[in-house]
Amino acid sequence: MRNRMNTFFVCAVTSAAIFFPAFQLDIAFAADASPDVSQTASEIDRLLNQQFDKDGITPTRPVGDEDFLRRARLDLLGTLSPPSETTKFVLSPAENKRTELIDKLLAEPAFGELWASYWSDVIFMRATEQRSQIGRPIFQQWMTTQLNNNRPWSEITHELLTATGNVRESGQTALFFAHASVPEEIASEVPRIFLGIQLNCANCHDHPTDPWKREQFHELAAYFTRTTFRIDNSGTERTFNIGSLNAAAARLGNRPEPRTLLFRLDRNRDGAISKDEARGQIANRFDDLLKTFDKNKDSKLNTEELTAALAQAVMQPGRGTAEHYMPDLKNPSSKGTLIEPAFFVEGAEGPSLPHGMDDLARRQAVSQFVTSKSNPWFAKAFVNRIWSELLGQGFTMPIDDMGETKGTIHPEVLDLLAGQFAETNYDIKWLFRTIMNTQAYQRQLAPASSNLSEHPFAAAKPTRLRGDQVYLSLQSAVGNFGTPGRFLRRENQAALLPAVAFRQKAAFTGTFGFDPSTPQDELAGSIPQALYLMNSTSLNARIQAEGRTNLGILLRNNRDNKAALDELYLTTLTRYPSADEQKINLSYIKATGDRNEAFEDILWALLNSTEFLSKR
Amino acid sequence: MTTYTSEHIQFSGPRVTRRRFIQTASASGTAIGALSFREQMAVQAEELRKQGRSMILLWMSGGPSQLETFDPKPNHKNSGDTKAISTSVPGIQIAHDWPNMAQVMNDVAVIRSMTNKEGNHQRATYQMHTGYVPTGSVKHPSFGSLIAQQLANQEADLPSVVSIGRTVGAGFLGVNYEPFVVDRPGEMPQNISIPDGQRRLERRLNLLQNLEGSFGSQGAEQAVQGHQQLYSKAAKFVFSNDTQCFDLADEPQQLRDQYGDSAFGRGCLLARRLIERGVTFVEVQKNGWDTHDTVFERVSELASEVDVASAALITDLKNRGLLDRTLVVWAGEFGRTPQVNARGGRDHFPRAFNCWLAGGGVRGGQTIGSTTEDGSAVKDRPVTVPDLLQSISHSLKIDSAHENMSPQGRPLKVVDGGEVVQELFS
Repeated sequence: MRNRMNTFFVCAVTSAAIFFPAFQLDIAFAADASPDVSQTASEIDRLLNQQFDKDGITPTRPVGDEDFLRRARLDLLGTLSPPSETTKFVLSPAENKRTELIDKLLAEPAFGELWASYWSDVIFMRATEQRSQIGRPIFQQWMTTQLNNNRPWSEITHELLTATGNVRESGQTALFFAHASVPEEIASEVPRIFLGIQLNCANCHDHPTDPWKREQFHELAAYFTRTTFRIDNSGTERTFNIGSLNAAAARLGNRPEPRTLLFRLDRNRDGAISKDEARGQIANRFDDLLKTFDKNKDSKLNTEELTAALAQAVMQPGRGTAEHYMPDLKNPSSKGTLIEPAFFVEGAEGPSLPHGMDDLARRQAVSQFVTSKSNPWFAKAFVNRIWSELLGQGFTMPIDDMGETKGTIHPEVLDLLAGQFAETNYDIKWLFRTIMNTQAYQRQLAPASSNLSEHPFAAAKPTRLRGDQVYLSLQSAVGNFGTPGRFLRRENQAALLPAVAFRQKAAFTGTFGFDPSTPQDELAGSIPQALYLMNSTSLNARIQAEGRTNLGILLRNNRDNKAALDELYLTTLTRYPSADEQKINLSYIKATGDRNEAFEDILWALLNSTEFLSKR
Repeated sequence: MTTYTSEHIQFSGPRVTRRRFIQTASASGTAIGALSFREQMAVQAEELRKQGRSMILLWMSGGPSQLETFDPKPNHKNSGDTKAISTSVPGIQIAHDWPNMAQVMNDVAVIRSMTNKEGNHQRATYQMHTGYVPTGSVKHPSFGSLIAQQLANQEADLPSVVSIGRTVGAGFLGVNYEPFVVDRPGEMPQNISIPDGQRRLERRLNLLQNLEGSFGSQGAEQAVQGHQQLYSKAAKFVFSNDTQCFDLADEPQQLRDQYGDSAFGRGCLLARRLIERGVTFVEVQKNGWDTHDTVFERVSELASEVDVASAALITDLKNRGLLDRTLVVWAGEFGRTPQVNARGGRDHFPRAFNCWLAGGGVRGGQTIGSTTEDGSAVKDRPVTVPDLLQSISHSLKIDSAHENMSPQGRPLKVVDGGEVVQELFS
């Protein structure tokens, strides 16, 4: 819709230009006119083709409709299309049916779900706080909504950077939960995820290859130093809170003297703090503290008990500190150097903070720097990530290490796309739409005889499907196959409680998942994955030819073996079998002598094939 | 020299197949090409020496209390209900819940002066397993995977790293060294038994191979190749007679009783069977050591399984002549506070804790380092995590200075810093 609106505006502009000087129009329309999808897509292809001409190569031709459909569905929904839909799409005479398909898929709720689980992997697969895995469902739920509402990437980022609250209730807390609010971890992950920069090398020494200094890493960490991570046992389910160090604790340098604290809180002057007297962090954890530290069992904490409690609190990560100190590596037990927050990207604009600002002021400030249009890394990192996920290769590899000195492939394309993405105010669906409308996205794989695979984006790369894409594809192909041993009897995915469905998928992706920031070249299958597809009883139950399985129905509806093969290939690989494949399979059926058994084996082979597990 | 001889004997033993001999010989042959005979002999000796070295890690998840295990403080009030008992080695006393371990103390070296800074379960577990503290940007390989990288026979049917219980993975070393996780020792691992029999699976694999050609020729040659390698490895695994070792039924009942009728006991027995069949690293986990309350009762219960099984493992390995080439390490992520808390428990305490080693050339019957009277600090000979890992490397004869390149292009040593605890081997 937006796309068409833009086209309309362009037309209006063109006709209006006859009557008005151009500069007025720029002012009038710049605010909400996003760069046109098809124009940007063609400009990308023009830039790429220029380079291919120079290199004297001809990129591969566009893929056929079946392949395009499979690619687009896996990328946007993670599922395979039912055979009827495939046939309809292939037979449709509409000229812009691919563009329309992209728009249609982007509007499906499954788009948000698939990409929310992608981002969940980006954040949680690197978690240093293992208990944070319980944060995945709520994060994915929250992220699904953001993506399906097409909230700008800058706003999503802002929420992730400034989140507070209960980790079971606020999906936005994911990043801080994943690292227990430890400032150095957050300062490593924020540049990696949002800017494509590995700043963490500068934790202990100046960055070895990029221009950043050790101080700059710690200046970034200083934005997060007052963010806290606290266990909360008050409800029926244990949870955690991401919060801010309160001002009083911050004034005390967060190492309150037991005596000072006692003096402040002990209103009835009986030399101990009771539950009524407790305030702040002590109040929040009072019952827990009593259980552990109330030696004389008077349900109060005296100086000695309070000292023990505070000493233990100091051992815990996530307690927050008033200010950030860069450790002195030669003298690790010393306090180190006081570091004020500052943002490391030259030219990036954002507020400067006076000394001693509170947690949220700090985090809002850093969020402004990160998402500012004056900070080119923000758009580049996102564009690079999505491009890489869609085309199997980024402009830099790995995608989260773009650094200043790292080689960039086709930088002119990255710059163009990142610039326009920023112009759209970080419109995520615009970016998907634009990339998927390029010829670059729609190319065939490089034939085995050519050297095209050495020229980035001149041919498509076969890429390994992520765990949730494999899971959803299997479901598309054979129906709900459950997980080993559990939930096996539940036939209907929709009837499952969301939490159960989530666990079922999580159990599967535990075996098939991988960190999505890993370059494709470094990915390989695992033995448990192969064993699962080969032998698992739950999947095997779904490839039986007898009974109410998809295969059973397919075989009964298609008495002719060729027709049945066509249908089976459409269901599993979204294409018809080649003449060769038909021959191999027909002779296999003949040799086996048992139609049902032979088709079970063929389905098994298709599900275990490289192609099934790849985007082609 | 002793090691060499014992390896040599082991080499002609019944468990080393002719096939493996040929592989070893030819692997050395190709690697050494133009070397002189003397040099060739040296290289082969090195090969033989490494061959068959392996490690079993008995992992006490949660952080075992040093006072209730191998560093009792019978004369201090901090000891609570725990008494000390004598062992087969005069002068060495351990906590009263460990009578079987007391019997095998001749083969065990206890380090009482482990010291570390990480008091958080996840971070300390990661650090003890990898030698590095966790960072979001690098997934460090676990030590088992690093050992396998240097020692494992890549042609073996069984995975080179097996863990009985979930553990830290191979990180950036990748799938070849990823631990194969066994959830229930004594039962066949998931998806290892073939639903419709071996013949049918062979037929299916054949069909798969015939059908893979088309995708391979359409530009996915590398992906198809990788996939086929993986499937032949997986197929070799499920077709191998070695998978029978996951089923403990063919062990004599008497021996199974010695290990004890517990998951941990079965895990230890399985570990021995895996090591026997050439697996390089096996981790056996026992959960429940996070004893913030009722530490005395809970350790008694835990020890009733762990004491029996660990001692049985050492004895069994020794009886089979496997102990010299198998290093057994018992450890958890940290120790516990010497002072008993209000709930009769002990809290996290990384400052001073203990672990023990047996086999793999370690001189048993000794304690290394000590803690103060009240157990609150290391008194002498502090041993850090890198020191422990250097010592393990020394025992297994792996190169701890070997550098692996992280995905960010940063070289990471197998062990960063630390020194071999020489007393272990002298």
